[in-house]
Amino acid sequence: MSTATLIIQKVPLFGRMFNVDTKNGLEDINSWPALITMTSFVWLVIAALLGLLMPVIQYYGLNTNLFYTSLTLHGAAMAFPFAFQLMVGVSLHRAGGCLGKKANGPLVALFYICMNVGALLLTLAVLGGFKVTYTVMFPLPVVGVQTGQWSMEMLILGFSGIALVLISMIFLYPIQVLRMLFFSEKHENLVLSPRTLKDPGMLGMLIAVLILLITGLPLMSVATPILLALYGILPMSMVTWAVEPVVFQFVFYIFAHNLMEAMAIMIVSAVYGTLPLYLADGTRKLYSDKLANAALWILLVTSLTSFFHHFYTMFPALPSTFSYHGNIMSWGTGLGGAFTIFTILATIWKHGVRPEPGMIMILAGFVIYVLDGVTAMVVANVALSFHLHGTMWTGGHAMTVLLAMSLMWMGVLYHHYPVITGRSLDAGRGKSSIKYYFFGGVGLMYAFMAGGASGMPRRIANWTEGGYMFIGILILIFGLMLAYGIILYLANLSKSSEISLD
Amino acid sequence: MLDFIYTDGWGAFAVMLFFQIPFLFFFIRIVYRKAYKNTGASETDPQKYPLLEGIWIATVVALFVLVNVLSVVYMPPVTTAAMIKKGGDFQEVNVTARSWFYEISNREYEVGRPVIFSAKSVDTVHGFAVYHPDGRILFTMMLMPGLEEASTLVHTFTEPGEYKVRCLEYCGIVHHGMQDVLIVR
Ligand code: HEM
Ligand SMILES: [Cu+2]
Repeated sequence: MSTATLIIQKVPLFGRMFNVDTKNGLEDINSWPALITMTSFVWLVIAALLGLLMPVIQYYGLNTNLFYTSLTLHGAAMAFPFAFQLMVGVSLHRAGGCLGKKANGPLVALFYICMNVGALLLTLAVLGGFKVTYTVMFPLPVVGVQTGQWSMEMLILGFSGIALVLISMIFLYPIQVLRMLFFSEKHENLVLSPRTLKDPGMLGMLIAVLILLITGLPLMSVATPILLALYGILPMSMVTWAVEPVVFQFVFYIFAHNLMEAMAIMIVSAVYGTLPLYLADGTRKLYSDKLANAALWILLVTSLTSFFHHFYTMFPALPSTFSYHGNIMSWGTGLGGAFTIFTILATIWKHGVRPEPGMIMILAGFVIYVLDGVTAMVVANVALSFHLHGTMWTGGHAMTVLLAMSLMWMGVLYHHYPVITGRSLDAGRGKSSIKYYFFGGVGLMYAFMAGGASGMPRRIANWTEGGYMFIGILILIFGLMLAYGIILYLANLSKSSEISLD
Repeated sequence: MLDFIYTDGWGAFAVMLFFQIPFLFFFIRIVYRKAYKNTGASETDPQKYPLLEGIWIATVVALFVLVNVLSVVYMPPVTTAAMIKKGGDFQEVNVTARSWFYEISNREYEVGRPVIFSAKSVDTVHGFAVYHPDGRILFTMMLMPGLEEASTLVHTFTEPGEYKVRCLEYCGIVHHGMQDVLIVR
């Protein structure tokens, strides 16, 4: 039995949900993805509790430090060890079953260790005072030490954690996927649903990991010397270029923006891969592979340089030409989205669709994803950005895109689940989990956007004083709905029943 | 109406709904129909799809272009550059931001006389957002430390009153306390 299977069996509560089927001969593609996915849900539960805690802290006017601690942990846990890790778990399983390649081995184990140990170290640092939010806000980590907000030790601990997480996302996962796509040995018995790089469902995977690798390199080139200097290995005088705020901020957002875009391309390609399996008339084809691929290429090309939208309000330090460019490219991403919408609708119109829970989850997530895309385009307009940047609008956009993509992955997981565990899920419970997650997620999105529209700053610990508590109450209500949807989803996994052989 | 759309947060909200509502309507309708009502293959003539595709993409592109082109005259980089080029009787204001307060060379301005705000941060990234007395954000600036050039913006106040200033870039544990007030007479 594989190590991953054994670990899963030992974990209380969550172990039951992901107990791997050891009899079907597919452990090589099942066990590590199951462990990775299971762990991502552990982080989700912790992070969701922190999410609910934030409006409660504000309502009762508790210590402001408590709010910033929850904010940093919630954002970081949701983005990396939950959303990204969930993507890794399910997409490795997809890659394994589509290509007939093993989804285990040293790189996968190393990914798992780096991601989770890294996230754990960062968590400890945040609990020790390192409240910098999940976007780091460089040079805040250093300024915070100088102004006595947290200690040098916590800065080093936090940066070490972040470095491990970045290594797992920028190197380990992409290299593992590239290995599976091009190099490692094919096993016919592992092929469940054969696909090649010509399929949109596979092409997106390649594009996404290349984006991670390539746009991550500059960030790693800047972060590595800084970390070495913090450890005392390099003299500080050698890294002055790297700690220049504008240098760090640019390499950071070139990566961070494209990270989100890579995750989007990855999930869109998974949707392209899964939708054809649920067509009502039995055709297993998209309306047009060409159009689907065109959407992926448009998303790739436009996303690369649209990161400028993070910096419009620096004018004129960001020359206006880059602002216009960022504006155009960001809306170009929307054009990629329009192609995707057409492909999905035309496919469904042409062939009908079987409304099974996994498929509805994917479509519901896609709806939130498109709604969020609109909010993103709106703030990416230069004129509007000057009224919205740094408000709840931008925070809400980051959160909504992640929760939309996660819902789609939960749908894809729903589809893979019987293969991984040999057990089947209850459709009724599946459908009600979608309902709560969907309305909770959409409600959260509109609450955040309404906050942004009324000028509510993101990341402030005094909602009441600013007169924004009304938005806070909405966040709590819709947050509870979303959380209930998550509980139903997990309860469904936990109560799944053996698929009988006859 | 364009003023409302491009200078008020709720205008942005309206633009958002303008795109979201038709999407929600069509997407949910089509999926619902093909999932529950009439689930088989549809009889639509295959020739029709490319036409629909063309109409859809053309509509999207046209709307995207329209929304952005109409916004150009409201873009602060555009208006600021134009005002500075034109010259005139400006009130010059220097802002220095540090954790967690502002040094502002002059906090009182006249109605109708353009103000040039030049703002810098000396420690971490801060924001400088000016709120209308009714609560909406007139503009926000991001102040990145270490830059030669100050973030600069020209704004002409049209009504007297007390205008709140807030930092919109998270800058540490007293970020929420980073506020100030400007007076327009
Ligand atoms: C369980 C219900 C949830 C509640 C009540 C909730 C609540 C919140 C709140 C209050 C904020 C802080 C807003 C601010 O002041 O800037 C926030 C930020 C955020 N949330 Fe959530 N959230 C929930 C679920 C999620 C989910 C499912 C995800 C992602 C999959 C997510 C990702 C984020 C991110 C990335 C941020 C930004 C953090 C930052 O700006 O530093 N949240 N959330
Ligand atoms: Cu500040």
